[in-house]
Amino acid sequence: MNERMRGGPLQGVRVVELTKVWAGPYVGKLLAFLGAEVIRVESLGSLDVTRTFGVADINNAPGFQAVNPQKLSVQIDMKTKEGIGLILDLLRKSDIVVENLRPGAIKRLGLGYEAVKAVKPDIVYVSMGMYGNEGPLSYQTGYAPCFAALGGLSFQVGYEGGPPAGMNVRYADSTFGTAAAYAATVALLHRRKTGVGQFVDVSAVECMTSMIGDSVMDFALNDTVHECDGSRHPDMVPHGAYPCREGEWISIAVSSDSGWRALAGAMGQPGLAEDSRFRTLAARKANEAELDRLVSVWATSRDARELVSRLQAYGVAAGKSQSSVDLVADQHLWARGFFCEVSDHAGQTKSIVGPSWKMSRGAAVTDRAPHLGEHNAYVLGEILGLSVAEQERLSGAGITR
Amino acid sequence: MFAYLNTNKSSVTLDITSDAGTEMLARLLNHVDVVIDDHAPGWLKGIGLDPAAFHESRRQLVLCSITPFGQSTPEDRLHAEDLTVFHSSGWGYHTPSGAEDNMPPLKGPGRFLPSFEAALDAAMCVVSALYEREDSGSGRFIDISKQAVMASRVDYVLGQMAAGDMDVSTRRTAFDLAGPAGIFRCRDGYAYIWMSAPTHWDALAQLLGQPEWMKAFPERWLELECTPERVAKCRFHIAEWLATQDKEQAAANAQKLGLTLVPVNDARDLKASPQFAFRKFFAEVDHPVMGRAIYPTVPYKLSVTPAKIGTPAPLLGQHTENRLAALTGTAIPEIRSLAHE
Repeated sequence: MNERMRGGPLQGVRVVELTKVWAGPYVGKLLAFLGAEVIRVESLGSLDVTRTFGVADINNAPGFQAVNPQKLSVQIDMKTKEGIGLILDLLRKSDIVVENLRPGAIKRLGLGYEAVKAVKPDIVYVSMGMYGNEGPLSYQTGYAPCFAALGGLSFQVGYEGGPPAGMNVRYADSTFGTAAAYAATVALLHRRKTGVGQFVDVSAVECMTSMIGDSVMDFALNDTVHECDGSRHPDMVPHGAYPCREGEWISIAVSSDSGWRALAGAMGQPGLAEDSRFRTLAARKANEAELDRLVSVWATSRDARELVSRLQAYGVAAGKSQSSVDLVADQHLWARGFFCEVSDHAGQTKSIVGPSWKMSRGAAVTDRAPHLGEHNAYVLGEILGLSVAEQERLSGAGITR
Repeated sequence: MFAYLNTNKSSVTLDITSDAGTEMLARLLNHVDVVIDDHAPGWLKGIGLDPAAFHESRRQLVLCSITPFGQSTPEDRLHAEDLTVFHSSGWGYHTPSGAEDNMPPLKGPGRFLPSFEAALDAAMCVVSALYEREDSGSGRFIDISKQAVMASRVDYVLGQMAAGDMDVSTRRTAFDLAGPAGIFRCRDGYAYIWMSAPTHWDALAQLLGQPEWMKAFPERWLELECTPERVAKCRFHIAEWLATQDKEQAAANAQKLGLTLVPVNDARDLKASPQFAFRKFFAEVDHPVMGRAIYPTVPYKLSVTPAKIGTPAPLLGQHTENRLAALTGTAIPEIRSLAHE
């Protein structure tokens, strides 16, 4: 067991994942980064598409590797009665289970909350669905951009006066996963204090609406519907992305009159600060198209990094709009340990996206994503206590192979 | 905004630039489990909560700091707003999908996305720390960087890039997926359609009554032969069809056939959503100044301990006397005399 003890606040907590693609696996990733032992139950017959997407080797699929570091994998065929029995045995010895299968699928497998609760009364059972478990639309399904569209986010993202364009297509799964992981820790803490487990029913669409809760409140209170406004902000001008040399962009946000004077100084045009069109927030707001034009003209032939340094030296909130090259080369992210190195059992190392947070007495993050069934012996032998002969029988019968 | 984010809370006012205020804060801190701070790096030290040292004297305290770039912020990132964090994380440059090089990267939805996202990680870390504290009796320091939180949200892509498994570039479309998915205009608004698998294609054919134009496409083109020409042709026909449809009805018809088509909702739609109503996602709250309104609650339902809004957001300093007296054992007259100083 000792090799599973990596420190961190959730050391000693066992999580079982019955998940697919990104949102569900992201929950396990976060909990593993907090020190929990996270076991993915997988089978060849219903592989996660991220194990096969674009590659021949299911044990080296880049997408799967990215979202599943520091987890264990056990291979159990969920389409057999004996396999379901094994999963229930495992859940009997676990603290949290996470599922994000299609609506109703988990119940049909015989692994719904009631079935699991019967063998493990204090389980924290996290169920994730686009619309949650019940309700008139809970039968509907979708992928991440559908969550963002339904939750009201996509409607607000786009160029001024134009149709909604939405966030980048990758947005939503990980936010959904984080909300579910947070709710799981809350239920776990409650169980620690009372001994009582519970069913946690997470809705992806509601997660999205929570990210624009203030806009929804604005509608509730003032009947205001926020439409696409480019990068406008009611209390900050300028507020947007401005073109620089060689197709690069910087973002600038000015939240006060003193900030505006600082920007005018950085632009080498201190006269602008006293220009009546821009002196106050209300004036800048009324003339923001012209102000955006002036900032763009100033920035457009300059180097983005030099501009950011200059603006920061003047005390202006500014930063490069980072491309994927910039991100992977971001020294701050490396220095913080955000990008970190993990290795597999053969010592092969790989860089991953590590935890967003730093904490005292945090968990060590050391292991690559598992091969399919890499931890069968540990799960079946050590956790479930099955003899070697029994493990061989299960493998021979195709249940765990 | 304040009303939305501060339900179920108390408010006490303390002037921590004064000696008396600092003393009262120290007394209050003896009776709290968690401190959440969102001041600039270094600020905590000034109020006696040095992240590196507070644990010596306040062993049980969980202290969580949320800043744009974390406690060790580089010189050239000290001045930041949510917008600049959003852009530093990669989301800005790659939003919207299919961005054109001459159009500016966008800010994302609303005003506070990086803040709300960072709050999720912070809350999760704090609760995990409280869980462990039950056994150890020991708190800890948690350092949340909004940039790192936002960048971690694209781990599926960024992780592959960091590992050298996916190309990095200056392309605005580096995070994108190929295919005809996207937002289309309807008669009464917009709808989003996702198509990536043969089942989606077959469902679309059924929905449209097997139209002639679809017959020219190879069977598994979405997965195996997804050329820009086919995508453009497919999008053209979807646009033509959806322009004659209402978003809700089109979505309901499509979903029944297994096609992932959904309406692009605005705040009006959310308020009217039968699904939100069923799950009681909105709660009505009566605020003494702002009046009655519906508030979004939380996106998870806990069967045993459901979230409830018990009280509206507090007025400034509404609980200064009562809470400080109850928590610190200070007599109310003494608190009042401090207020006059």
